[in-house]
Amino acid sequence: MSKLTIKNLIKSFPSMDRPAVNNVNLDIESGELVAFLGPSGCGKTTILKMITGLFQPDSGDIILDEQSLLKIPTEKRGVVMVFQNYLLFPYMNVNENVGFALKMKGVDKNIIDQKVKEMLELVKLPDIGLRKPKQLSGGQQQRVALARALISNPRILLLDEPLSNLDAHLRDEMRDLIVTIQQKLKVTTIFVTHDQEEAVLLADKIALIFDGELQNFTSPKNYYEKPKNIKAAKFFGGVNFINAKKDNHNLSTNIGTVHYKGENYTDLNEDNIITIRPENIKLSKNNDFNDNSFKGLIKSVIFSGTHTRYKIIVNDLELECSLQSVGLQDIKTDDTIYVHLPSNKIWAMNE
Amino acid sequence: MNNNLKKINIYAIYLGAIILILPLIAFFINAFSFRWFYPQVIPKELSLQAWVRLKLIPKSGQRTFEGFIELWASNPAVIKALLNSLSIGFLVTIVSIIIALPAARVLGLLNFRFKKLIIFIMVSPTILPPIAFVLGLNINFISWGFSGNYFGVCLVHLVPIMPYVVLTMTGIFANYNPDFEHQARTLGANKTRTFLLITLPAIAPGMVVAALFAFLVSWSQYLLTFLIGAGKVMTLPLLVFSTASSGNPALTAAISIIFIFPAILILFFTSKFVSGESGATSGFGKI
Amino acid sequence: MGGERLKIILSLTPPLLIIFTLFFGGIFYGFLQSLGYQPAIGKYEINFSAYYNVMFSERYAKLFWTGLGLNLWVSFASTFLAAVFALFGALAIRKTFFAKTICNFIYSLNLPMPHLVVAVGIIFVFSQSGLLARFASQIGLIGSPGDFPVLVKDKYGLGIILAYIWKEAAFFFIILMSVLQSLGENFEELAQSLGANRWQRFRYVILPLVMPNLFSASIIVFAFSFGAYEVPALLGVIYPQMLPVMAFEFFLNPDLNARSEGMALSIIIAIIVMILVVFYFWLTQAKIRKD
Repeated sequence: MSKLTIKNLIKSFPSMDRPAVNNVNLDIESGELVAFLGPSGCGKTTILKMITGLFQPDSGDIILDEQSLLKIPTEKRGVVMVFQNYLLFPYMNVNENVGFALKMKGVDKNIIDQKVKEMLELVKLPDIGLRKPKQLSGGQQQRVALARALISNPRILLLDEPLSNLDAHLRDEMRDLIVTIQQKLKVTTIFVTHDQEEAVLLADKIALIFDGELQNFTSPKNYYEKPKNIKAAKFFGGVNFINAKKDNHNLSTNIGTVHYKGENYTDLNEDNIITIRPENIKLSKNNDFNDNSFKGLIKSVIFSGTHTRYKIIVNDLELECSLQSVGLQDIKTDDTIYVHLPSNKIWAMNE
Repeated sequence: MNNNLKKINIYAIYLGAIILILPLIAFFINAFSFRWFYPQVIPKELSLQAWVRLKLIPKSGQRTFEGFIELWASNPAVIKALLNSLSIGFLVTIVSIIIALPAARVLGLLNFRFKKLIIFIMVSPTILPPIAFVLGLNINFISWGFSGNYFGVCLVHLVPIMPYVVLTMTGIFANYNPDFEHQARTLGANKTRTFLLITLPAIAPGMVVAALFAFLVSWSQYLLTFLIGAGKVMTLPLLVFSTASSGNPALTAAISIIFIFPAILILFFTSKFVSGESGATSGFGKI
Repeated sequence: MGGERLKIILSLTPPLLIIFTLFFGGIFYGFLQSLGYQPAIGKYEINFSAYYNVMFSERYAKLFWTGLGLNLWVSFASTFLAAVFALFGALAIRKTFFAKTICNFIYSLNLPMPHLVVAVGIIFVFSQSGLLARFASQIGLIGSPGDFPVLVKDKYGLGIILAYIWKEAAFFFIILMSVLQSLGENFEELAQSLGANRWQRFRYVILPLVMPNLFSASIIVFAFSFGAYEVPALLGVIYPQMLPVMAFEFFLNPDLNARSEGMALSIIIAIIVMILVVFYFWLTQAKIRKD
């Protein structure tokens, strides 16, 4: 229904020496919940504003259901944005705010009232219709803003940093609400965030953007297990990186030859980098692994509740490993240890 | 603070207040007593004579509704001047707001090269005295045919008004979040409705202050009106000045009371907006 | 971003056009005329003789220099006194007391009052048959009006100064009240706890805090009183005469040759005000750089 395609999108500002958005291509399927993830100033909000029509791209195209949006004025696109600071119109009460979009369409007053009521129930704020925005808490304002955005059945819903202005305890609640509503209404949704945890918890797919360039567009799971490059891996908390060379279906590194099963072997360059999540590394005092096992020395042990983190030196290389604290072997600093990198959990990538 | 000092302090404030409104008291005594001779402090009799002579109040015996209408319809000089002052004030206010609105928005919201220079140019009429430009302008206006008519007076009033209106409204836009407009656009409001429903309500309070202020500056303008109007456009300040020079205190006082009425009214309604930070305040000093 | 630049230019053009054609155009044309360029009466030569005439010719020199002296005296005295009265008024009034709102309103009352009316009010109160003279007579201080000192239309410009004090004290008052309000009393209480007495708190705490605003307001008031026409025209005497009145009378002189002198005078007034403002900016900028 609402498939959004972004094609070769470029946008520059005179105040910046590089393009704010540089040749971004994306295909977002109908009903998907997509996160634009990246550090602040990476261009993610600029893309949102181009989708709404508040900015015009320098070149490229934005296509919604086979139709280019560029020539359509903002108010006719059916793309609704919820701004980071909610922007409830201060001199209108909640009902008037929520009903705004329908009023713009010239919908009958009774229908608007009915629909406003439904929307407020949907965001679980049924009884605050007559209040002014000033009288609402931050979390309530956010919900009203969401109701206001959804009332006209937008084809695309855009959320700019939807959780960043909320207290920690409200954030979980709001996140659940967004997911519930999104699944119920099946509205194609894009939200912008700088918090990878938030992106992982909410999104079906994440578009990772650095310096105006799209790094990768894939599922959260893939970012952890099969990152496209070292930058993406690091942004998702990757810490273990080992330089490697192709070596007859294996990879040779300076801790030894690593057996590799990844499906991307043929795409790899001669020189590449291996990464593995700390929680996928296994440790043993005895060498009881038959594959990808290397001898190392424990440098530090940090207990952090459910997990315990180890730093291990293997042949001058530092690896980090995180094991569940329950039922651990007794491993101490300066112990000699065998490190196992399971061949189905390691991932090699080009630099 | 010890108690005696506190008392002295408060009495000093009361004394200051009394001294400050002495002129106002004198205006009212003068205007409502025709023969207020030295050394009376309180006039022997109250009288509406001054108002009658100005043809604002009918002679006793004719003070009916019809009597007032008939008198005012005969277009006495004060009414004529009052209408001129009002209409010029309204016209100039509306025009200056319309002209200043886009400029103030750009100056308040955007950053660009030469912005400081442009603001400096914009406020320069508030620094240099009007006599510096109006003498030269007068000669130009004569050759352009703007001298001695209503249009020329309106045009020249724009000079002292424009800087304050632009400055006050720039202040409004500096605290204004244009994302509200973007939000309305994405919710389906077109440009016109966005302006009417979102922008206008947000800037309205500040705009009203700017407008009242613009009106007051035009209302108080003597020198510019006198020179450019060349005696053919009579407004209240011109009438006050000429009556005051000719020396009849009762008439002067009566016209002055009409003249200051809007000023007091405006102060009353805007006092909560008028503070040291508002651009309008610095303008009040120059009325 | 060509669109944005176009928007900036289109938005700024109308007000700038008004300021350039009417304001700077007027100054420029006035300047040309002050140089003797008067096509209307067939004079095209350009020279500084009008300036010389006004300042140094036997006919006008005395008038000009006494006028300039009066201008400086009136502007300095009225600015300083208005600021001092307003400062004491604001300091006294900020504490809560009975009828504070009314007093506040009265103290601000002269702010929107036209200068013209204030000048008339000064005549009503301070002239030899004014309210004060009547009070004095009632309590037996004076007999006839002639016994009351000449405070209006006097050669020292006292009436003019009184009018400006009346009007501008309200302006200073509003500015000071808002500064004092935003400062609160924390600084003073702190100073008091550190052992500062009343005078010391005023001298070393309040005064430095309000000084920047007081100073910039003073510049506005000084510049205005230096170049304004109405008040000295109503409350002044023929000699010595303040410069704006003199310029205006030159200009209205039926002898069109006097026009150049009038224009020259108005340009001189503008230049003095400009020097003052530039000096002020230089001072504040130097202070900012130093800080």
